[in-house]
Amino acid sequence: MSKRARAVRWGVPVAAVAVVAAAVGTGPVIAAVQGDPSLPDRTAQQLLADMAGSWSSRKVPAMSGTVVETASLGLPALPGLSGGGASALSLLSGSHQLKVWYGDEDRVRLMLPGEMSETDLIVNGGQMWLWDSAANTATHFTGHPGAATGSPVPLPSAASPLPTALTPQHAAQEALRAAGGDTRITVADDVTVAGRAAYQVVLTPKTATSLVRDVRVAIDGETLIPLRVQVYAKGAAEPAFEVGFDSVTFSAPAPENFTFTPPAGAKVEEGRAPAAAGHEAGKVRDAADGTRIAGSGWDSVLVTSLPATDAKGGSGASAANGASGNGASGNGASANGASANGANPANLLDTALRSATRVSGPWGSGRLLRTKLLSVLLTDDGRLVAGAVTPEALYQAAGAAR
Amino acid sequence: MSARETLTEETVMRVADDAANRTEQNAATRAADDTSGSGRSRRNTATAVHTAVHTAAHPAAHTARLLASEIGLTFRRPRNLAMLGVLAAVPVLIGVAVRIASRGDGGSLIGQVAGNGLVLTFAAFLVMLPLVLPLAVAVVAGDAVAGEAGQGTLRYLLVAPAGRTRLLAVKYADVVVFCLAACALVALSALAVGVALFPVGPVTLLSGTTVSAAEGLVRVGLVALYSAAGMAALGAVALAVSTLTEAAIGAVAASVVLVVVSQVLGAIPQIAVVRPFLLTSWWSSFDGLLRDPMATDEMGRGLLAFLAYIVIFGSIAWSRFTSKDITA
Repeated sequence: MSKRARAVRWGVPVAAVAVVAAAVGTGPVIAAVQGDPSLPDRTAQQLLADMAGSWSSRKVPAMSGTVVETASLGLPALPGLSGGGASALSLLSGSHQLKVWYGDEDRVRLMLPGEMSETDLIVNGGQMWLWDSAANTATHFTGHPGAATGSPVPLPSAASPLPTALTPQHAAQEALRAAGGDTRITVADDVTVAGRAAYQVVLTPKTATSLVRDVRVAIDGETLIPLRVQVYAKGAAEPAFEVGFDSVTFSAPAPENFTFTPPAGAKVEEGRAPAAAGHEAGKVRDAADGTRIAGSGWDSVLVTSLPATDAKGGSGASAANGASGNGASGNGASANGASANGANPANLLDTALRSATRVSGPWGSGRLLRTKLLSVLLTDDGRLVAGAVTPEALYQAAGAAR
Repeated sequence: MSARETLTEETVMRVADDAANRTEQNAATRAADDTSGSGRSRRNTATAVHTAVHTAAHPAAHTARLLASEIGLTFRRPRNLAMLGVLAAVPVLIGVAVRIASRGDGGSLIGQVAGNGLVLTFAAFLVMLPLVLPLAVAVVAGDAVAGEAGQGTLRYLLVAPAGRTRLLAVKYADVVVFCLAACALVALSALAVGVALFPVGPVTLLSGTTVSAAEGLVRVGLVALYSAAGMAALGAVALAVSTLTEAAIGAVAASVVLVVVSQVLGAIPQIAVVRPFLLTSWWSSFDGLLRDPMATDEMGRGLLAFLAYIVIFGSIAWSRFTSKDITA
């Protein structure tokens, strides 16, 4: 066989690779060719008003879809955080998938698939089930969590291992709530999210101490449902935290998604109805054990005493509440994760401390843990100061809290 | 046992200078086997050989006979039968182990086996998909071309007017049949053991939904088919490697090393971006069948990934096999 014929034959696998690569890359290429979608112009105020209108009337259409959450918070490598487990702590690093079925505000199902495991949250009327296949445990809650939190998507706030900031609706609401006078709100170029044309609202903190460069919320041009929230840290090209729809369909999901009967042999527990979490942002909150929020808006700093032995007790839960009122969705997710029952928070803290650097100043001394989006200061006198701010702001808060 | 195998065993005892004669005998027997079909009488063998060598009147029928002959050889080789025996034995081991150590904690998939024998099939695939099944497939596919080349029979196979492309297609079809058979065997063995040792009833899916035993059986079948598709993709890779060498053991080892390395790569969180491009990371997606509703999107992507591997490595095998000099 001639050299030429041989070369021609080897052209076939090259072509096969090219075809496969093209098929893999088709989505981005088509998006690039089509360019940004163009929607009728709306100012930021108009958008916010329209959204507020659609939220207050609670006309969230029935839908189902896949939400992808990606966190690259720059956390130190923590054991047990990798992989696709259903533990809420695992949401703090890597990319995770969540499936959402939304019938109406009384019928919601969230599914967190893990490898050979699954965590489900099913809300149907006044009944709520939390199913953990790995633990073979179904937890039953009664009450109406949706009404309690006042959110369009009735999510539990503290009792669930699924962080509250997981759906775009909720994350966007949290981000927008935090926007007061300290935020510049602009509308950027329209984007395509989950194949739908979307407005993009950019929230930029005005304060210099915040680690957040901006928060970008993509809002569906048709339904005004937030489709994606991205939190960019200063000096990073990729979002530090992102949660958004990968695919979404606006049609009523099959009703069997919202029914749940504990399978035979499963452990059935009766859960405490999730306490209504206050969402007043920036308010200085005094809790029984000394947990409070210093500063307001983007500069909010959580000051608490270190969870000594009972990390899952009152201090953990109130830390979660405090941070979910803090605004930045990254904070909400991480603080909620820390109080979740997925992994042992004490072990996690120990591991994290090993990568912390020693710092000292007029405020005292302690250890500082820095990530892209979050600074955590553990003072030697047993306090924990954390926020999406520069370490200097933490020192100030630690000094003021003496 | 085939005439070819018998001949090979006979000739093992012969002296080395008989080697040329032996390979000719092999090829002649192969052609005869190929044209007369395994079930037919060998009365008209001579005519059949003549037909096979000098005409290609019915290519489709010829291909079918060639395939039947290849499948017959694959499933009569003692080595392959031993591997299939191991594949059938692993679910038995799992079942017996769970039966002995039965606590019924119900948590993990293997823990659920004690409560429902049908779950044993899912547990068996969970345990065997990472290494045991791929090893068996790699042995058969890695041996497909390199084994013939190493034995010196490849040259004589190509004497028949089948053509290299058709021979390669037949070899790959044989590998696919073996993948299907291996996965079916695992499922059936696990079912038999599960039914024998444990109670059988409605199956609890990962979503907490309970489906009837009949639907559970359907899902078992789908898991076996999905796994077979994943193994067929590995078969294409191993076949491509097999065309690159004349040492069958090298092709087998290279394929197994590829499987292990890609699993290691898939387990490193820092390079999680490569995960969707690895063949091995899609194998475990059969858990989508255990959800309610079935995660068809995820498994559809898995099947597309398998198809991409088959296309790429199949074309590599074709380019190499149709252009290489057959020296042995």
